[in-house]
Order: sequence, then C-alpha cells, then structure tokens
Amino acid sequence: MNSNNKFMLMISGLVTIVIFWIGWVSSNPKDEKAMATFISVEDLINDKINKRTKLGGLVKNGSILISKTNYLDCSFILQEGAVELNVKYDRTRPDLFKDGAEVIVTGLYLDGVFYADELQTKCASKYEGDLRDESSYNLTEIEI
Amino acid sequence: MTPIAGGVALNLAFGFSILTIIVLFLYTRYGDERLFLTGQRLALGVSFFVFLATFILSYQLLISNFDIDYVARYTSLETPFIYKISALWAGQSGSLLFWLFILSIYATITILQNQSKHHTLMPWVIICLAIIQLFFLVLTNFITNPFMPTEAEFIVTNGNGLNPLLQNVTMAIHPPTLYLGYVGFSVPFAFAISALINKDTSPLWIQSIRRWTLVAWLFLSSGIILGGWWAYQELGWGGYWAWDPVENASFMPWLTATAFLHSIIIQEKKDMLRIWNMVLIILTFTLCIFGTFLTRSGVMSSVHSFTASSLGPIFLVFVFLILIVSFSIMYINRNDLKSKKRMESFTSRESGFLFNNLVFVVMCFSVFWGTLFPVISEAVRGTKITVGPPFFNQINIPIGLILLALTGIGPLLAWRKTGKQSLIKNFTFPILSGLIGASFFIFIGLKGTVVISFSLCVFVLATISKEFARGILARTKKFNETIITAFYRMISKNRSRYGGYIVHVGIVFMFVGFTGHAFDKEKEFSLKVGETDHVAGYEFTLLKMSESERPNHYAWISDIRVTDNKGAFVTNLYPEKRVYFHKNPDVNRRQPHSELDIYSTLNQDIYSIFSAVDTENSIAFIKIMVNPLVRWVWIGGYILVIGTMIALWPRKD
Repeated sequence: MNSNNKFMLMISGLVTIVIFWIGWVSSNPKDEKAMATFISVEDLINDKINKRTKLGGLVKNGSILISKTNYLDCSFILQEGAVELNVKYDRTRPDLFKDGAEVIVTGLYLDGVFYADELQTKCASKYEGDLRDESSYNLTEIEI
Repeated sequence: MTPIAGGVALNLAFGFSILTIIVLFLYTRYGDERLFLTGQRLALGVSFFVFLATFILSYQLLISNFDIDYVARYTSLETPFIYKISALWAGQSGSLLFWLFILSIYATITILQNQSKHHTLMPWVIICLAIIQLFFLVLTNFITNPFMPTEAEFIVTNGNGLNPLLQNVTMAIHPPTLYLGYVGFSVPFAFAISALINKDTSPLWIQSIRRWTLVAWLFLSSGIILGGWWAYQELGWGGYWAWDPVENASFMPWLTATAFLHSIIIQEKKDMLRIWNMVLIILTFTLCIFGTFLTRSGVMSSVHSFTASSLGPIFLVFVFLILIVSFSIMYINRNDLKSKKRMESFTSRESGFLFNNLVFVVMCFSVFWGTLFPVISEAVRGTKITVGPPFFNQINIPIGLILLALTGIGPLLAWRKTGKQSLIKNFTFPILSGLIGASFFIFIGLKGTVVISFSLCVFVLATISKEFARGILARTKKFNETIITAFYRMISKNRSRYGGYIVHVGIVFMFVGFTGHAFDKEKEFSLKVGETDHVAGYEFTLLKMSESERPNHYAWISDIRVTDNKGAFVTNLYPEKRVYFHKNPDVNRRQPHSELDIYSTLNQDIYSIFSAVDTENSIAFIKIMVNPLVRWVWIGGYILVIGTMIALWPRKD
C-alpha cells in the first residue's frame, strides 16, 4: 500500500468515527438542555410528556401574576388555540413579555403546571407592522 | 420622480447583466476582441446602475421620503442620521440591494484590476459575477423591490423608526462587514469556476485570488467578532455566541474559508490538493449564499429573524443550482484536476495542513448538522427538535481543542518529512512549556477541559515564540541586525507567514476568553435604594434611581456602587431601563429595552442588566453576571485583524 492510500484510509477512518460520534451525541446528548422537542400544548397535556419540551403560544390577557414577595416569580396562562396551560417562570422576563405577546417557553411539565426555564418573546416583527397615521403623533404627555 | 429613477436603475442593471452574460459567452465561442471589450463595459454598466439605485435609496432614507414604503418602515423623523444610513441594510429589500451594491464594488475592482491580466480567465470570471448579480437583480426587481411606493389610506407623516436593538454603532457596522465577507467570496469562486472551464487548474489561479480570499476572510472574521461584540453589549444575556442558526450561518463559510486559506498554501508550494481546493471554495461560496438564505428566509427561528418572507425557496433553488453546476463542471474536468504529487509522510507540514483542513470541515459539518437538525428531525420523524448550545459545545469543544493543538504542531513540521531528530528538537520546548503550564493550572486548582485548553494555549504560544525567536536570531547573526530591526525585516520579508502566526496568536487569546466562560457566575435580585446584594465576592449597592426623557425614549437610570469583599470601591455601574416610542398611545408599539453597563478589565467583566423597574415601590430588578476573561476574546479579535492586514499588505517590489 503506498503512502497516499494509507493516508486516504486513515482519513476515511477518522471521518467515519467522527460522523458516528456526532450521530451518537445527537441521540444521547450529555446535557438535558441540549435538545428540546417542539410540541403543541394539546399534545403535552394529553400525553403528559415528562421530558424537556418547547411550546409556543400567546400570553392570555390579564393572566400574568407576579409574586408580591419576589418580583422574579411569575405565572401566566399560555394559550394555543383553545387550549390553555399554566406556566411558572422565575427568571428575568424579556422586555417584550406582556399580555397577548407571542412567546416560546422551554421547560418541564409537572402535575398540570409547566415549569419554564427559558422564555423567549417574538418581537421585532412589530417593526414590519402597519404604518402609522397622523393621530399616532403630536402627543406631549408621557404614558408608560 | 427620484424614487422612480431608482426602480429604473435596477431595471437597467437587470437588462445589462443579461447582455453581459450573452456577449461574453459569445466571446468565449468566437474570440472576437470587440465582444470582450463590450462585455467588460456592459459589466461595468451593471455596477454603475446598482450604485445609482443604492445612492438613490440612501438619499431617500436621509430626506425621510415616506412615500417609499421601505423608508417609512425603517426610519422615522426622530431616527438619528447614522441610523438613517444603516437603515439601508435593516430591512429585507434594502439589505438585498446592499448585497448587490457590495458585489458590484467587487466586480468593478476585479474588472479594472485585471484589464490587462488573466486574459483567458477574465471572460468567465465576469460571466460568473454577472450571474450572481443577475440573481440578486431578479430578487430586487421582481420579488422584493426597495422602491415600492407606500400603500396606506392616509398620508404617512412619520415612519415606523428603526428597531432600538439596531440603534447601536456596532450594529450599524456589523452587517456591512459581514456582507463584505460573504460577498467577497464571490470573486475567488468566480476565478475557480473560470479556471475549471478553461482547464487551467495549475496554481496560477490560486495566486490571483489569494489576496481576495484574505480580504473576504478578514471581513467575515471581523463581521463575526463584531456580531458577538454587539450581542454582548446589547442583547443582555451576558454572552457573545449562542449557536443561533444565523450565527452558525456565518461561522460555516468561515470554517471552510479558513481551511481553504491553509490548503491553497499547499497548492501554491507543492501543486497538491487541486480537487480539494476547488471543493472548498465552491462550498465556501455556497455556504455564503446559504447563510443569506438562513438569515432571510425565516426557516429557522432566531434572534436575527427580523423578517419572515417568501424568499426561502428561491434562495434554496439558487444554492442547489450553484452546487449542481459547479460540481458538474468539476466532474467534466476531473482529469485536469489530478495532481502529480503525493503525500510523502504523516509527519510532514503537508499532512499537518491536511489534518487541519479535515478538522475544519468536520467542524463545519457538525455545525451544519446541529443547525439543520430541527428541519431534518421534523422531516424524518415528524417531531420538531430544537438544538441548544450544550449540543454544539459538546461536539465543538473537543474539535476546537484539536484545532488549537494543530495550530501549535503545524509550524513545527518540515515540508515533505520531518526526521526523528528534528521532531525531538522542534517539539521539546513547546511541549515542555505546555506541561509546565498544565502543572501550574492544576496546582492553582483548575480541572478538566479548562486545564487542557489553557495548556494548549501555552503550547501554541511557545511554538510561535520559538518560530519568531529562530527567525530573529538567524537574521541578527547573518546580517548583524539589532533584534528590533531583525523582527521588523523578518516580518516584512515574509508577510504571509508571520502575519499568519500573528493571526494564530489572536486565535489563542480568543481561546483564553472562550475558556473563561467556564467560570461565569450570575445572580438576579431586586434592590430598593440603599439596599445591597452579593455576587461572586462583590457587593452591589443601589445608590439611587433617576429618570430622564430623551429624544426617542424614556429612561430609568440606576446608580449601583460595586465594592469588593474587603469593602474597597471597584466601580459605579449605570444600567438603564428604557422605553422607546414612549409617546405612542398604542402601548403595544412602545418598546422596552435594557441598556447594559459593563465594567471590563483584563481579568473579568462585571456585567449589569436593569431588567425591570417597579415605579410604585421604587424597586430595581437587577441581573449581575461576572464573566472572567471575556476581554481576551476582543483583544484576540484585534490581533487577528492586525495579523491578517500584515499578511495582506502588498510588498514594495
């Protein structure tokens, strides 16, 4: 076998090992946060899935409750179509988290409550929204 | 009237690009010099009309002509001057026009630079560039035209304004830098395809594109680093890299391009790896287009998905077309691509480069796999699985460490074969340094991957210092020069080699910064004025909270005093909570935003986020992160830029 063939053999061997390794890591990640399955709220409630999942939906109007003792503790109702789910979250909330916001939560479902450790808001699309007419301007008072 | 001129300029550019392709194609058939000259001028015409369209749109943005939909959507009367300009690449149609604008600059330079050079290569180079221009002209003319008039039932007196997240100087320069990189690879790609069609794949074409590739690589690297810097300064999650699909989209071509930069050295010096180099440059360019596709299509949910659009399928078709056509041309000309030379030994510089290349490509594959895993899993298993940073870290940390080790090993290997004696001689000092480093790091209590990473950093720095010392010593002996003169002359006589080593030093510093991530600490808490909390050995006291109304936002500013555990004053931090468009009666249109404050030292960053404010009870909700060694990432970035500039700098002769 000449050196070139030896080279090719070694390289192919190494590449095969690495590809298998990547495949293996894809199905057995070390950290549970490495992957999350995106499912619908309805499936989560019906199948009582107890592994890490990602859900999308809207924050139900008026459902955001913030703890009086710890401002970071918050719960809200996530709506996806007609299905509703109680979500608890105790970290810094994104700037655009509010009633009616479109959110994606990641976490675990336990006894009817979804404990989220990630909360993302879909935001910037607002900037591609409708244009504004004159009534939106010339206001002097500040309402926050 | 003027906006119409913009649309007409784009129409004309579209027509001219088709004519360029036809005329130059005829030239390659019939060889009439007049056709070549006409083709060149037509190609310059395409660029001229693209420049004109871009300047018209920029001018309309500056004068706030809200009759143009794009201007009304991305700027408002309050938008500061600089962001009116950066609005050119804030939205979809504008950024596509901007892509085209940069491509046209590059095309013009390529044509003017090579008027009397590369006479056989140039026709196909121009045809390739014109085809790429044509693709973007189709998009900007027919699919998403930046000159579309505003369609509203009222007179738009003010526009929507630029997203506050994008109102940051870094953000104004990050996209153009990245684009300059992405688009820059069009030129080496066009040369590669032309070399293939002309059946001339000798190292000649490589020489003509080395500098172009370096320029594109420099911009792509700077664009990626600036993006990380922006995320760190603006997004408020305390990190600079999240393995987000769009970040990955810029990282993948960077990996293949870096591999290409290394492997063309072998083709230049040894005329080997002809096929491999072709594959790499085709992949790099395809990944650049694929990156634009990921950013623009909205296929992946990402912080960058400012748009969800219908452009996806068109981009995907273009990506497949590039791959199919390029690899078909390669297959047809496969006989010309066979190198006559063979690898001689595992312990040679050639094999070192080859391994480095393989590792880069494997890393690119792993990033590609992780990025597209959600799409693949949905197609195969029907479930959408999202992939987070831990997956990428698990795979890419070991691969990255292997790359770091190779950065140190490569320069110590000789061309063709390294004998046993010289192996021992070359490796003793760097390996010893690495081992001493490792013992020290273990002694101070570090463990695992961190020790490996830091020790490898020492090993690579030892290799590079050895190379510099050897070069300087040789010169001081031979020419009787002082150390400083020898250092300066050594670099200027062999810019690409020593520039490359300096880039490696930058990469080592970046690895130091990446490794620091293992020690990050964070805490979220609430404070009333006068209260204190502790994080990572520091005390944080809220001294006061003030309010301020500014031209386009309202801000609450907290004043936090930081002291260390002995009570010594460290710094004052002033993170802000802002609300943009606060005068808008529609609450949904107001946008809250947290403006960070960071106290940065070589040792660590203290990163403060004012996440929320309770105005009734005067409570500030603060998140503090203590991130060790982050500054080394940016220092490494600067060194990388300096090294690349040295490698790029033209020689006097």
